[in-house]
Amino acid sequence: MPDGSIPILVLSTAALFASIAGFIIYFIVLYRNRQLKNQQEQEHLQSIFRQEVLKARIEMQEQTLNHVSREIHDNITQVLSFVKLDLAMIGIADDKQKQIKINESRDLIAQAINDLKDLSKSLSFEHITKLGLLKTIEMEVNRLNKSGIVKAEITTDGEMAGLGEQRELVLFRIFQEAVNNMLKHAGATHFKISLQYYPELFNLTLEDDGIGFSDEVSGKGDGAGLRNMENRAALIGAIAKINSAPGKGCVIKVSLNPLQQQLYIDEDHSNSIG
Amino acid sequence: MSIIEFFYWLLLLIVSGVGIMRYKKLTLPFKILSCSVLIVFFFNILAKVFSFRYKNNAPILQTESITEYVIYALIYFYLFKNKAIKKVIFASIVILFVFFIINAIFLQPFLKVFPTNIYLPTQILFAIFSLLLFKQMLLYPSKVNIVKQGVFWYNTAMFIYATTMFLNLGLANYYVAHHINDYSLYYFWYFSLYLFHVFIGVSLLTDNKEMLTTYA
Repeated sequence: MPDGSIPILVLSTAALFASIAGFIIYFIVLYRNRQLKNQQEQEHLQSIFRQEVLKARIEMQEQTLNHVSREIHDNITQVLSFVKLDLAMIGIADDKQKQIKINESRDLIAQAINDLKDLSKSLSFEHITKLGLLKTIEMEVNRLNKSGIVKAEITTDGEMAGLGEQRELVLFRIFQEAVNNMLKHAGATHFKISLQYYPELFNLTLEDDGIGFSDEVSGKGDGAGLRNMENRAALIGAIAKINSAPGKGCVIKVSLNPLQQQLYIDEDHSNSIG
Repeated sequence: MSIIEFFYWLLLLIVSGVGIMRYKKLTLPFKILSCSVLIVFFFNILAKVFSFRYKNNAPILQTESITEYVIYALIYFYLFKNKAIKKVIFASIVILFVFFIINAIFLQPFLKVFPTNIYLPTQILFAIFSLLLFKQMLLYPSKVNIVKQGVFWYNTAMFIYATTMFLNLGLANYYVAHHINDYSLYYFWYFSLYLFHVFIGVSLLTDNKEMLTTYA
């Protein structure tokens, strides 16, 4: 064997193992840094998500209180005022008229009691938790139809499944925001809501026949609510698409893969009715 | 049997035992890995028997070369997430198998020669796969401490095995070409195998199918 062979072998082996060891150590350090970075990012996303959920809850409560306040002012107070008037006129009425007024008052009070019952139901802020998204939206649809401002209809497709409490809460807030926009700005007469449940896809489509708006409007200050919807949808891993043109109404479509888990959403996926 | 061989066989037995004991807790690629250690052990016994009885263990080493590649490539196939890489691995298995047959018939006869033509490209492919897997680990880091991840130990084992064996085979070819008879290469060869199987053992000890959480 040539004399130079062993030193060459030893040196090349040592160099090889030193390079491998260096590479592995470098990789471990790099990996640890990446782990820390990801952990921080996830904590940040978790914190934003919690804030958004909290904000959505507060907004829901505000919206409910506004609704209750309006109902008391526009409806119950009016009904009770009629009752008061009827009762005030009883003193000067003959027996037949008295009976009519009493019957009228009884009907009006019954109506006020029913309205108060409905109001007490809507005062519960946790409908979404107890009833799930579909039932809560159905209640809102009934309320819209009762108001007579707009004719709302809801359709469902596929087998209804829970999407998780926090996701449903955010979806409901998007729905509420869309309803608010429609009532305030669109002047719509028809409002269609569609919920499609497929194994790997959930679609919430909200369609109105209002005045619509151009892309310029949605990009300006007026479009803050629309951007809010898109941002909120992104938080739960959904995509919100808003299509509108002047005179052509507005379509909002929120699509979500129910099986895709967002790791910063700290909830049990199956804890909601749907 | 030399003492270095005896300890190598003992190490293979221990690692096989670890694989069998933890078989149910292992993920699919590591189940294949635990089987591969048994297969390597089995090939070692056969090679020894052939060299004693027929003074030629080339057929065993030929078969072992392609079997090892198929097994380790299959493990990588299951460890990678990227579909394109999976396709490349699958294609490499087919191509190497065809090349193995051509090599065994025309270049390095199945019954006579150690198949360096198979070992050299497979070591290069293993080195590439291991680097790609390290990259994938960086792209999708797990919450679990790296030293508790079977995939890290397996990949490190493959990286060390591929690079040292490549050097080993290169030097062996050089020694044969220059008629050098030196035992240091023999020790280096076994040292690489020891290191490889120790890391494989650690990977079988650390892998756990209940610890698969990764960050989004």
